Amino acid sequence: MRKALPWILPPLVVVILAALPWFASPTIIQFGISTLILATLSQSWNIIGGYTGYASFGNSVFYGLGIYGTAVAMVQFGLPFWVGMLVGGLLSVVFAVLLGLPVLRLRGHYFAIATLALAQVMSAIVSNVQVAGGNQGLVLPLFRGDKMFYELALGLLVLATLTVFWLSRSRFGFGLISIREDEDAAAVMGVNTTYYKVIAFALSGVFTALAGGIHAYWITFVEPESAFDITLNVKMIIMAVFGGPGSVFGPIVGAFVLQSVSEILATKISSLAGLFFGLVIVVAVVFMPKGLIDLRKRIGRLGWRYFTRNVKENRL
Amino acid sequence: MDLIWQIFLNGIFLGGLYALMALGLALVWGVLNIVNLAHGAFIMLGAYACYYLYTGGHIDPFLALPLAMLIIFALGYLIQRFVLNLIVRSAMFTTLLITFGIDVVLTYMAQIIFTADFKTINPPYAGSNFQLFGATVPYVQMFTFVVALAVTVGLSVFLRRARLGRAIRATAQNLTAARLYGVNPRTLYAITFALGAALAGGAGGLYGMVSQINPYIGAPLTAKSFAIAIIGGLDNPLGVIVGGLFLGLVESFTALYIGPTYTSVASFGILVLVLIIRPTGILGRTA
Repeated sequence: MRKALPWILPPLVVVILAALPWFASPTIIQFGISTLILATLSQSWNIIGGYTGYASFGNSVFYGLGIYGTAVAMVQFGLPFWVGMLVGGLLSVVFAVLLGLPVLRLRGHYFAIATLALAQVMSAIVSNVQVAGGNQGLVLPLFRGDKMFYELALGLLVLATLTVFWLSRSRFGFGLISIREDEDAAAVMGVNTTYYKVIAFALSGVFTALAGGIHAYWITFVEPESAFDITLNVKMIIMAVFGGPGSVFGPIVGAFVLQSVSEILATKISSLAGLFFGLVIVVAVVFMPKGLIDLRKRIGRLGWRYFTRNVKENRL
Repeated sequence: MDLIWQIFLNGIFLGGLYALMALGLALVWGVLNIVNLAHGAFIMLGAYACYYLYTGGHIDPFLALPLAMLIIFALGYLIQRFVLNLIVRSAMFTTLLITFGIDVVLTYMAQIIFTADFKTINPPYAGSNFQLFGATVPYVQMFTFVVALAVTVGLSVFLRRARLGRAIRATAQNLTAARLYGVNPRTLYAITFALGAALAGGAGGLYGMVSQINPYIGAPLTAKSFAIAIIGGLDNPLGVIVGGLFLGLVESFTALYIGPTYTSVASFGILVLVLIIRPTGILGRTA
C-alpha cells in the first residue's frame, strides 16, 4: 500500500480538484484559478531554474508574451481564444530560441541579471507598440465562465507537471540535471549543453506563455506594467524554492501553501500582509533552503536538528 | 548646439549620481558574491534619513549626508552579521531570494512608517543655478555630482591604501588565504556589506535632493545599479564611474532624440549587449 501511494495520490488529487467548481463558492473558484496559474508558472520555472540550474528572471517575459499574444490576436485580429493562446506560445518559443542562444551562454548571476534586463526591455518596447495598445493596454472581450478557466488552468498545470515528471526520469532530464551539477563535466560527457538548455528554456517558456494567455482572457484587461511584472517572476522562484526546486511536486506545494498563507493574511491583517510575506521568505531561506519536500523527507529522522543543520551547512 | 551641450551636462550630472548608487552594489557583489536585491531599499532609506534629518533636525542636507550614511551603515552591519552570514555558502539563488525578502520587508516597513506620499528634500538654495558656457547648471546638481565623485574616489583610495580596505580586497580574492592572515571573515563581511549599504544610503540622500522619494523608488534603482555595475565591471570603483557616466549620457540623449519612453530600452538593451559580448564589463579584466 505504501509503495502504491505515490501512484494513486496525484490522480486522486487531480480528480478532486477537477470536481471542485461544482461544489465550491465563486470566491474559492477565483482563488483556485489564480493559485493554479501561479503553480503552473512556478512549475515552468522549475524546468529551467530547478532542473537546469539557470535562475531565470526572464520568465515574466514569456508570461508577457503569452498575455500579449492572446490579447493582440483576439482584439486586433478578431481571432478565437485558442488561436491567441497558440500565438502566445509560438512567440515564446521564438523568443526562447533567439535570445536563449546568446543569453544561456552566461552563467550564475550574469544569466540572472541578463534575463532581468530582458524583461525590462520587453516591457518598455511593448508599451511603445501601437498594435499592443501602448501604455493604455488592451481590453479583451468579456467571457463569464470561471469554471472553464479553472479547468483550463488545472489542465495546463497537469500537463506541465507531467512534463516535469518525464524530465525526472528521462535521458533528457538527466542531461539537464548534469548541466545543473557541473556544466563543463556534462559537456565532456557528451551532453550537447546548448541544445539541452535552449529546449529547457523553450519548454519553460511555452507553459508560462499559455498560463499568461489564460490569465489575459480571465482578467480581460492587459497592460505592459503588470504583464511583464518582475515581482511575478520572483514569486515563481519563491514558490518553487519554498516547495523544493528540482522536484516534481515541490513547486505546486510551494504555490498552494504560500498562496493560502498570503490570502489568509490579506483578509485578516491586510496592511501587514506584505511585510509578513517578506519575513516568511527570509526565515524559509535561512532554515529550510532545500524546500518543503526536503523538510518532509528528513524531519522525521532529524527533528529540530534539521533546521540547525541547514544553518550550519551554509553559514560563514 | 546649446541644447546638445545642456543635455550632455545633464547626462554627466545624472551619471555621477548613478555611479555612487551602483558603487555599493558592485562592492558587495565583487567581495561577498552576493547580488543584493535590497540595494535599492537602502537607497530609499538613506533618502528618508536625509529628509528627516533636514526637516526634523534642521541640518543642511549635505551635512546630514554623513549622518544618514552612518545610520544605514549600522542597519547594513546588523543585516549581514545576523541574517546574511547564515546563508553565505548556500546556492546562488538563495542569496537572491533572501535579499529580495529583505527588500520586501524594508519597503513595507518604510510604507508603514513614512507613508506612501511623495517627499522631496528641498533646501533653500534648491532653485538657484549658474550659467556654464550657455548651459544652466543648478547648484544642487553640481554639488551632488562633486560629492558622488569624491566618495567614489575616496572608496578607491581606501580599498588600495587602508589596512581594512586591503583586507576587504584580500577576502575578495581568496577567503581562505585572508583567514590565514588573520582576517575575521564574519566581521569583515558585515563591514563590507555595511559599507555598501552606507554608499547606497548616501546616494539616496543625494537622489532625494534632485528627485522625489517614496517607499517604492528602490526596485528600479536596484535594476539601474545592476546595469552600471555590469557595464563598469566589479573589480574597480573607477570602472563604476565610467559605467555611471555612460548610462547617464545614454539616458539623456535617448530621451532627447528617440523619446523619454525609450530610456529603459536603451539602458537595459546596452546591459544585455555588454553581458553577451563582454561579461566582465567594459573596463573589467577578462576572466
